[in-house]
Amino acid sequence: MKRNNAWAKYLLLAVGAFYALPMLAMARFSFQKVPVIKLGWSTLFKNWTIQPMIDSVTSDRFLEAGWLSLRLAFLSVLLSLLILVPTTVYVHVRLMKARAFVELLSTLPFVVPPIALVVGISSAMRSTIPSFLSSPFSLVPFYVVIALPFTFRSLDVGLNSIDLKTLVEASRSLGAGWMRTVSLVILPNIKAGVVSASFLTFAVVLGEYTVASLLLKFTLPAYLAEAQGNNPQGTFTVGLLLIVVTALLLGVTNRITRGKSQVVSTIGI
Amino acid sequence: MNVTVRSGRGSLSERAPLGVFARLRPWLGILPFAIFVSAFLLWPSFSVFRSALQPVEGSTKPAMLEAISGQYLSSILFSMRMSAITAILGMVIGTLVAIAVVSLDRMRGLRNLMVGYSAVAANLGGIPLAFAFVASLGMQGLYTKMLSVIGINLTDMGFKISDFSGIVIVYLYFQIPLMTLVMLPAVDGLKSTLREAAANLGASSRQYWKSVGIPLLTPSLLGGFLLLFANAFSAYATAYALSSRGSRLVSVQIRFYLQGNTITGKSNLGYALAAWMIIVMVVAMSGYLGLRRVSERWRR
Repeated sequence: MKRNNAWAKYLLLAVGAFYALPMLAMARFSFQKVPVIKLGWSTLFKNWTIQPMIDSVTSDRFLEAGWLSLRLAFLSVLLSLLILVPTTVYVHVRLMKARAFVELLSTLPFVVPPIALVVGISSAMRSTIPSFLSSPFSLVPFYVVIALPFTFRSLDVGLNSIDLKTLVEASRSLGAGWMRTVSLVILPNIKAGVVSASFLTFAVVLGEYTVASLLLKFTLPAYLAEAQGNNPQGTFTVGLLLIVVTALLLGVTNRITRGKSQVVSTIGI
Repeated sequence: MNVTVRSGRGSLSERAPLGVFARLRPWLGILPFAIFVSAFLLWPSFSVFRSALQPVEGSTKPAMLEAISGQYLSSILFSMRMSAITAILGMVIGTLVAIAVVSLDRMRGLRNLMVGYSAVAANLGGIPLAFAFVASLGMQGLYTKMLSVIGINLTDMGFKISDFSGIVIVYLYFQIPLMTLVMLPAVDGLKSTLREAAANLGASSRQYWKSVGIPLLTPSLLGGFLLLFANAFSAYATAYALSSRGSRLVSVQIRFYLQGNTITGKSNLGYALAAWMIIVMVVAMSGYLGLRRVSERWRR
């Protein structure tokens, strides 16, 4: 059956342009030192340089924010896996009837917007444990919570796709303890799930602005907001860099899970 | 097998008074997780409601009631209107993209590119995305300038990237791809056999969509709408970066009340708005999850 698909091509072309054009504009502002007023055919290819990117990524403020964001991202990934791998494995092996409950708890972060979470944090913890909030690393558990729907789903899909019961029984009957079974048998089999959970958490932490800014922590998005006024070109470069890194993390995740751990909410908005 | 051994022991203790405990004992395994979620998600959320139920200074009404009157209500409604508009536009365009991708099925590379980029774009947001649109359509934006060369002056037309229409366009950048991702499985599920059967019975393309396609897609469409609505409603960073402080969106307003708390004594209003946000999110997300279950059922 031959159908007329011309409309589909035009639509995808238009939407593709809508996706690409803002990124191109950002790239121009990042790498071209020509004011918009003077932009024309004659200046189109003039003064393209990666100097602004070098300047901003070597500036002290950027390094401070970037170093904090990196440490937060690694710690959040670590804590996420530390809490979720044992829990999901336990549920799948021993207590399948608890899965719905764990899934419900893992979905809850979707209904608490980051802005509501952060005002709740200050309301609950400012008066009871103020010293906790003063450390920038207090963000870690909240980032684990914000990433929870993604991490749970990645690991859950991974565990569903293998014959867990047989693997566990084989390993146990050969005399392996639980630690060995989890680390040497289960983990290698759900590698894709673990990697995608880690990458998604990493992407969440790199992009998160709301909680960090209201708790006055100086992360990369906070750096962007701060530099907006005094170094516009630098903010475009760093913004572009963040988008590219996030896109790579998400692209790889999407690849290794073949879209199965499909993400259903926007990170860091 | 050791499972049977344990169940033997379990049946003994079931008759003993400790039976309940023995049955609950396996649940101890998820206790660390439950405690973690309680401490870092549930406690803050309850705290929002506790403060929201307290009155604002100089009033006896709980702040949550105050928040649904006058200007405060108008900011909630403004947010809802904005979220609904971006959700409707995102739903329509995102669904059409999904249909287009499926109907061009033979161009496999195109599909992979579109789906792959959608998975990325659906999760771009926040400050960097806001900057990309400032670079494009801001006062000094690249395309603002290019359009003015061909005689279209956005500024004179009253368009500002920080205004309602500007924020709608920026939000569409993540709303459209999100909808595409939600709809793709459903559109894929409209098997070509259905279409051929309809054609064999003499149905035109329009009749096919009216009596087969759209009814089958409806649960996914409605669910997607609710998801997009929730997505836009909870957004903060993007709008904040676009129109710092100036926005009437409820998420941005919350910050205003909490930062001004020492002067205005109205911090409980911030909590009240946050509490209402959570309530709206619960309604929208339960609707989405319920509808997703419906649409997954017939696909199996």
